[in-house]
Amino acid sequence: MIPPLVSLDDVTIGHGRRKLIGGISLGIGANEFLAIVGPNGGGKTTLLSTLLGILPPLAGGRSQPAALRVGYVPQRDHVDALWPLTTGEVVLMGRYPRLRPWQPPRAEDHEAVATALARVGILDLLDRRFGTLSGGQRQRTLIARALSAEPDLLALDEPTNGMDPAAELASLDVLRSLHSAGDLAVVMISHRIEAVVNYATRIALVDHERGLWRVGSVDEMLDDDALAALYGRRVVVREENGRRYLHPQAAGGDA
Amino acid sequence: MIQEFLASSEIWRDALAAAAIAGGMCGFLGVYVVLRRTVFVSAALTQLSTLGLVVALFAEEGLGAEIERASVQLAVATVFSIVGALILGTASHRRIPAEARVGVAYVLAGALVVIGSSRLVHAAHDLGGMVFGNAVAVTLTDVAVVAVIAAVCVAVHAAFVKEILFASFDGETAAAMGLRPTRWNAVLYFTLGLAIPASARILGALPVFAFLTVPASIALLSGIGLRATFLAATIIGVLAGAGGYVASWFWQLPTGPTMVVASAAFALPALLLRAIR
Repeated sequence: MIPPLVSLDDVTIGHGRRKLIGGISLGIGANEFLAIVGPNGGGKTTLLSTLLGILPPLAGGRSQPAALRVGYVPQRDHVDALWPLTTGEVVLMGRYPRLRPWQPPRAEDHEAVATALARVGILDLLDRRFGTLSGGQRQRTLIARALSAEPDLLALDEPTNGMDPAAELASLDVLRSLHSAGDLAVVMISHRIEAVVNYATRIALVDHERGLWRVGSVDEMLDDDALAALYGRRVVVREENGRRYLHPQAAGGDA
Repeated sequence: MIQEFLASSEIWRDALAAAAIAGGMCGFLGVYVVLRRTVFVSAALTQLSTLGLVVALFAEEGLGAEIERASVQLAVATVFSIVGALILGTASHRRIPAEARVGVAYVLAGALVVIGSSRLVHAAHDLGGMVFGNAVAVTLTDVAVVAVIAAVCVAVHAAFVKEILFASFDGETAAAMGLRPTRWNAVLYFTLGLAIPASARILGALPVFAFLTVPASIALLSGIGLRATFLAATIIGVLAGAGGYVASWFWQLPTGPTMVVASAAFALPALLLRAIR
């Protein structure tokens, strides 16, 4: 059996002395697509930070059998567009952790930048100013930066937050094609399960206010109990043309 | 008038060189200050370095110390500035926003400077030089000190440009990808804390705050790339420091404010450049 890239064993997540959720056991396989879903402020980013080793667990253990190369995509509006950087310069930062101090970027680093931009379909924007890009183009730039690190695990924090539906679907299609192209694990945070239900292979539900922690296959997470726990009401799941659509019902209603 | 100025080169030579070096150094560092949206950190650090000077003056008066006062004063001011820079630049608290911490440091240090200076008996003149600058009294030693500090800042930023840039632009991602942004923020703020007291001693507090803000803002206004922004801000700092000093000589104006106005005068060519592009 192939060991997971990284795993949490009976972990309690939180900040300082403040515990959010306990009893979390979770392993990330080499080629899986995990969506961490929950309401805003529910503990999703804390869970991801603990998984990546940025935050220490308050209890339990984190194990990582081998060196793990992470490509990280922050929320788009966390990146300041004031900086006069080109798209290529932003993507090149993904190579910096591979370089020593004093060491300038090498030819292979610039090649990796071009390859990453081509994978997300914006190589033509290499010399464009990052601050002049549309929201969707900025998101692809940040994904390209993560890919330029040639990661084992691609972690994304609310990558489609604030996007219009067309840009959201385009970004998720990029993620699916990247995931299906090879050995790349994807862990993605979203506060909307309907945004990820057609892309993820597993879903984790997190909400520390209600003590909610569940993880399982997409089918398991679409059962009535799990959805009711997430939405606080009944949710109907319909399938059309191979895609699933979620329909939350009126509070207290049956249909 | 120009001949008279040139004939007096022994008087202004050291001051001009020191103003140009300090102006260029602050102009360069100011790009990070402006882009990280932390302009008031530089004002707080200037106040903290002045507080360090007050502490040094108190110690000298209290102990009746017979030591080389200028170097001790600068050393204590630099320690206060660097410690303040490291705390303000790297500490975080979930309940208190960063700008509130900067504001508290600024007003508290400012209040302590006023209280302390009111209790100093003999050393008010030294304090005035630190706060308002004393370009006339700049010595070759001052030039050497600020040149060494500028060289240290250049070496540190040349060595760690990638790391400081990534940590400044997107610390969250830098942390996730294993770069330890707190460490690189500390390196950046160490250079700021190092540069401010020596620059304030030559230029005064107001021009240091201005040079950490105005040249970078003007360079960004012109719409050029990041490397060009660093270069332009450094050149504006050098020219405004030297040019402001010369202008204050010819027109008999206060040196520090003339340097500030000289730096702001570069906004016009920057706007023209932006219009052309």
